[in-house]
Amino acid sequence: MSDDLDPLRRLRPDRIEPDDPGDPAVFSRAKEQLMSAIDEDRAPGDVFPTPDIYPRLAYGDELAAVDYLTRVFQFAEVREARMEHDGKYLCWLRVGTGVVMLGHANPDVHLIHSPLDAGLTTVMVNVYVHDIDAHYAHAVREGATITMELDDAFFGERRYEATDLEGHRWHFGERFDDIRARGGRPPEPGEPPDA
Amino acid sequence: MEDEPDAAVIAASLAVPARFGAIFDRHATVLHRYLVRRLGPDEGESLVGEVFRIAFEKRHTYDLTRPGARPWLYGIATNLVAKHRRREARRLRATARLAGRRLVPDDLADRVSGALDATDRWNRVAEAVAALPEVERDALLLHAWEGLAYDDIAAAQGVPVGTVRSRLHRARGRLRELAAADGGEGDENIDSRDPGRIGS
Repeated sequence: MSDDLDPLRRLRPDRIEPDDPGDPAVFSRAKEQLMSAIDEDRAPGDVFPTPDIYPRLAYGDELAAVDYLTRVFQFAEVREARMEHDGKYLCWLRVGTGVVMLGHANPDVHLIHSPLDAGLTTVMVNVYVHDIDAHYAHAVREGATITMELDDAFFGERRYEATDLEGHRWHFGERFDDIRARGGRPPEPGEPPDA
Repeated sequence: MEDEPDAAVIAASLAVPARFGAIFDRHATVLHRYLVRRLGPDEGESLVGEVFRIAFEKRHTYDLTRPGARPWLYGIATNLVAKHRRREARRLRATARLAGRRLVPDDLADRVSGALDATDRWNRVAEAVAALPEVERDALLLHAWEGLAYDDIAAAQGVPVGTVRSRLHRARGRLRELAAADGGEGDENIDSRDPGRIGS
């Protein structure tokens, strides 16, 4: 559509200076304030600051990825921060103190691809979880593609790996110390992990 | 839950107030961007929560025959923008200056004369928008920047669609006049290069 409003359309600030998606914690803080105002008896929720480093993973269907990762690996979407942009989405998922950002494959501006298009995976994301055995069992029940079986690793954690619906690779682990702390029984020192 | 129309969520929130959180989840980032476009990032962050707090307080007045709440929220945000008129005018001028720098021709020979020219033209557009009567500027920007349909603008402004049509008609007329007034080149095409790609 080209008409007398064209100059005005072009004067939209984010068309002159491309805007960055910003900090998801802004929306978590604002929502937290709203919810406290709505219900005064409510226990205040935690608003984790966004970590200084977090990955942005590219998907062909980022909303399907959100569904998959929350269902299979029990990530929690920061729903209030989900951003729609020309029919594409930016989403943030939280696991513990960490955050991962999902966006649409963006070969033009950011030059990032889904492994589905690239034909290979170049990154593995490491995640510490509570009760790795339960996490693994849940993932298997939900149809996860396990690419490395659950096992005790020599470096002191119990772990498994999986690839998701578009081929991004995930490493899930729990430290022996953390297993002990919750009353679990990791291999004894000196005991071979596979025993 | 995600499939439930906004109207149903708002109706449910009358009995269970916390349900209103879903309205924030669905629309906060869009309203935030709108506020940032019109007022700038600082105001955007401070006002986005205010939009939803007001919406929550007024939820019993929501017209439940309208499934989507976004136009209603745009209306509330627009009323907040109206309290920051000077901030908005400053924002428009700053954006015009940026446009003058960013959208100049690449060609070195054109750069000096072209840059002055372009800046001047963008300034005229910005001043013309800033000089519009408030309801016309609101309607115009909801249309041209936010891409709202006429009946959504009508819902946002709480007026019949016919009023939106005439507001937009008048606004476009004024814009043409004001933008052309001191330059005499109003019919010439403002630099039509790609204004830049959206980062996200």
